[in-house]
Amino acid sequence: MALKQVSSNRCFEGFQKVFEHDSAELKCKMKFGIYLPPKAETGKCPVLYWLSGLTCTEQNFITKAGFQQAAAEHGLIVVAPDTSPRGCNIEGEDESWDFGTGAGFYVDATEEPWKTNYRMYSYIKDELPKLINANFPTDPERMSIFGHSMGGHGALILALKNPGKYKSVSAFAPICNPIQCQWGKKALGGYLGSDVSKWEAYDATQLVKSYAGSPLDILIDQGKDDQFLSAGQLLPDNFIAACTEQKVPVVFRLQQGYDHSYFFIATFINDHIKHHAKYLNA
Amino acid sequence: MSSRSGSKREYETSDQSTGHSASPPVPESSETEAGGLIFYHMDLYGSKERFDIFPEELSGQGERSLGDTRRESALSSEKFQHSQEAGYDLEKEVAELAKMYGLDEDREKELELLGGHLEVAESRWPPARTEKARSRDQSQSTKLQGLPGEASQDEDESKARAEDEAESPIRSGEGLSSSGISDEWNSQAVSEEEESGDVFCSTCKMPIRAFDKLFGEHKDHEVTKLPSAMESEKEEIHKNMCKLEEQIAQMENFASHLEEIFITVEENFGRQEENFEVHYNDAVQALAQKYEEQLEALGEEKRQKLEALYGQLVSCGEHLDTCKRLTDTTQELYLENDKANFMKAAITMVDRLEEFLKKEVDLELSTVPDFKERVIDFSEVEQLMNSINIIPAPCAPVINPQAPSAATGTSLRVCWSLFSDDTVECYQLCYKPVNNERRSDEQAAPSPPIIKSKKIRSCENAALVCWESGDINPVDSYTVELSKLTDEGNGDIITESIVGIPNCEVLIHLQPTQSYHICVRALNVGGSSERSDPAVIHTTGTYFCLNEDTAHPLLAILDDGFTINLLEHTLLSVSHRCIGILGSLIPFPGKHYWEVEVEEDTEYRIGVAFENTPRHGYLGANNSSWCMRHIITPSRHKYEFLHSGMTPDIRITLPPRRIGILLDYENCRLSLFNADIAQHLYTFNSHFQHYVHPCFALETPGMLRIRIGIAVPPWTALP
Repeated sequence: MALKQVSSNRCFEGFQKVFEHDSAELKCKMKFGIYLPPKAETGKCPVLYWLSGLTCTEQNFITKAGFQQAAAEHGLIVVAPDTSPRGCNIEGEDESWDFGTGAGFYVDATEEPWKTNYRMYSYIKDELPKLINANFPTDPERMSIFGHSMGGHGALILALKNPGKYKSVSAFAPICNPIQCQWGKKALGGYLGSDVSKWEAYDATQLVKSYAGSPLDILIDQGKDDQFLSAGQLLPDNFIAACTEQKVPVVFRLQQGYDHSYFFIATFINDHIKHHAKYLNA
Repeated sequence: MSSRSGSKREYETSDQSTGHSASPPVPESSETEAGGLIFYHMDLYGSKERFDIFPEELSGQGERSLGDTRRESALSSEKFQHSQEAGYDLEKEVAELAKMYGLDEDREKELELLGGHLEVAESRWPPARTEKARSRDQSQSTKLQGLPGEASQDEDESKARAEDEAESPIRSGEGLSSSGISDEWNSQAVSEEEESGDVFCSTCKMPIRAFDKLFGEHKDHEVTKLPSAMESEKEEIHKNMCKLEEQIAQMENFASHLEEIFITVEENFGRQEENFEVHYNDAVQALAQKYEEQLEALGEEKRQKLEALYGQLVSCGEHLDTCKRLTDTTQELYLENDKANFMKAAITMVDRLEEFLKKEVDLELSTVPDFKERVIDFSEVEQLMNSINIIPAPCAPVINPQAPSAATGTSLRVCWSLFSDDTVECYQLCYKPVNNERRSDEQAAPSPPIIKSKKIRSCENAALVCWESGDINPVDSYTVELSKLTDEGNGDIITESIVGIPNCEVLIHLQPTQSYHICVRALNVGGSSERSDPAVIHTTGTYFCLNEDTAHPLLAILDDGFTINLLEHTLLSVSHRCIGILGSLIPFPGKHYWEVEVEEDTEYRIGVAFENTPRHGYLGANNSSWCMRHIITPSRHKYEFLHSGMTPDIRITLPPRRIGILLDYENCRLSLFNADIAQHLYTFNSHFQHYVHPCFALETPGMLRIRIGIAVPPWTALP
């Protein structure tokens, strides 16, 4: 697969680059951001995948989160893909901000007209890692995943559905229980149809209940003043209860005064990078 | 040589005619002494006058006898004659300068000296003087150095005017008084100018007029230009001046050295005198002793003899008595008329007499009247007398008290000092081990101390050990002996010892991941105690102990010393109390790690606190303590991370059973972990201004088991 470099900026002695490629899974051109730490010049580095939330592109995280310094320090490659296929000209894709464009929900859609293109789950799980490992100095055995909001949901489900694939997982204000919240019902219904049992495969809370895989160490930060938390879109308590039940170790931090924005992400991103570095560099 | 220090004024007046002032040492008479040799006056304590020599010499121009003086070969008398003829006005010049610069006498002399030598070389005086004055104005400090420079300057000038102007006049016989007689001299100087020559004849060694060279007696002689001749003469004189100065310096040094020697001689004398006295006294004492000894022996002998003789006398007396009795009895017998009685008595008598006569009569003297020959033994005294050396035996050195860390198990460093008066060839060090025998009139050595093993606190790099004294004997200091245990099991080889410890505790620096045996000894005047029972220290992690004094009364510490237990008790009816105990202070910088094992339903507070944290308060409720708190609500486990009464809102899904606590003084952090799954729970970021104690508290009945001596796990490294 040919990669085309879109931009490159030196940052903390490494490089923040953006590439574009033709995605087989999504059948369209996809961009992703990739940060290469200084260590990547001389050796292989572990990879940390970031999944962004609703309405984001590959740009938001790389410009707003301020993660490059910590990534450089710990020698981690950070990949930030887009949140959905673009330019597919599917009818209705731009109708709402929480469904369609910019709202892939990291699922493999089964419903028309989405099922051809909207395969973000497989893209993130298979195609993207393969692409990254083929083109960059990566250590294919060391991979971790984290994300924000819808991306947090994506990170959790990918980790829970693929035990052992990711060394660690963390999330900022994730949508923990989509089958129970408005966003989830809309998206999952739209992509997967009305059979709720099919939704469960993409619901972190549900997946944890039957998780029997390798030990995970999950870190979740949630702004206490997050409007979506109070709106019941995120439902972390359900997830925590399920994890407690299943004895899945989670440290969930409710951060006083913080909201849903990238300002909140920027505040705690270093803790998350350290959390991943502990496992990726072990 | 005459000594005239302090009599300057006299000479001033008396020598006025010869132009002297303040130049005492050499009167005219001495100039005719010893074939004209003028002796350099060697005055040890006031050599100010020495520079007079030159001015004297120069100023004594009036007398041609100066020409006979032979101070330095270079300073030829003819020169002076010439210089006189040339009309140099040395004194006047110097006087003027002296006046100008307010110089003291010494400087005056110096100037004279140097001015003098310049003068000899110079041809132009008055202009030179003014130039000199000018340049002196400019740089007074370099005045002396300036002179040669100026001289050459002047010389150039003088060359220019050699033809036209006369050489500077020198006033013969001028004194150095700074009275204003310069005018008078000036006029005199001018009058003398006409006589000067302008070429120098090396053959005759005199300046001549150029005219004379061509047409006079000097026709065939070697001539050189007067200026250049002057130049060379000047140089020579300068050299000689320098030599003279050197000599002066040397003699001065020598003089002061001699002074010192005087003192040393006195000192040495004193010492020798003392020495002799001591020896003399010793000898006399020895003699006296001997005399007395012999006298006593003599007396004893006499007594013995007399006793013996007396004894003999007594026995003689007895014998006599007996004889007498017998005689009396016999005589009585003869008076007996009755024949039968007489016969009876006579026979008895005869028997008695016979018997008595059988006894031997010792008529020998038991003792001789002569006394033994006695001689006073002088050999010892002779020995003493012969041992008087030039060098007295040195006094005993004084051994310095033992410095701390001056000893190891097998070696000792001994330092001593000696009296500076002594001459020492070498030292002899003797030693013997001191044992602890108890002597009734001496202080007993102490008993070995007892190390408080349970109270040892250590970390990977250091240990704090304390002990108590073994008994009531006073102790001056303690010695700690350390031996590193390696695989060979050489626990007896002492690798380090620390001496001079005043208190019952010591902080020792150690290496990580080792094991050590440590023993303590107590020392006092009576000696050193036996080694205490050893304690073992492992530097694999941080060790502390629970401080029973800080335990809440309801808290029980179980036998191993590291398990605390709170039992059901009526007093616990009030919920959520903080019943706790502090561990000992962790006084070592760096990172420390320990673990606490808890039961799932134990409600606890675990953390650290400053020494001054309120004991009746709640851990974490104030700013002197930090802790993780676990309580159980009806719905779930609740965890709080408390400091100053505040906690973040954190949910933990898996209740930790083994909590790891990392105290990082260096990075100002206190971190808590679920040690079973290496899960980081929370980190307090706080700059600990003091060392802290670990603290443990129970809120409801339950048990906490504390584990120490664990190396800091790698997964705790928060990068």
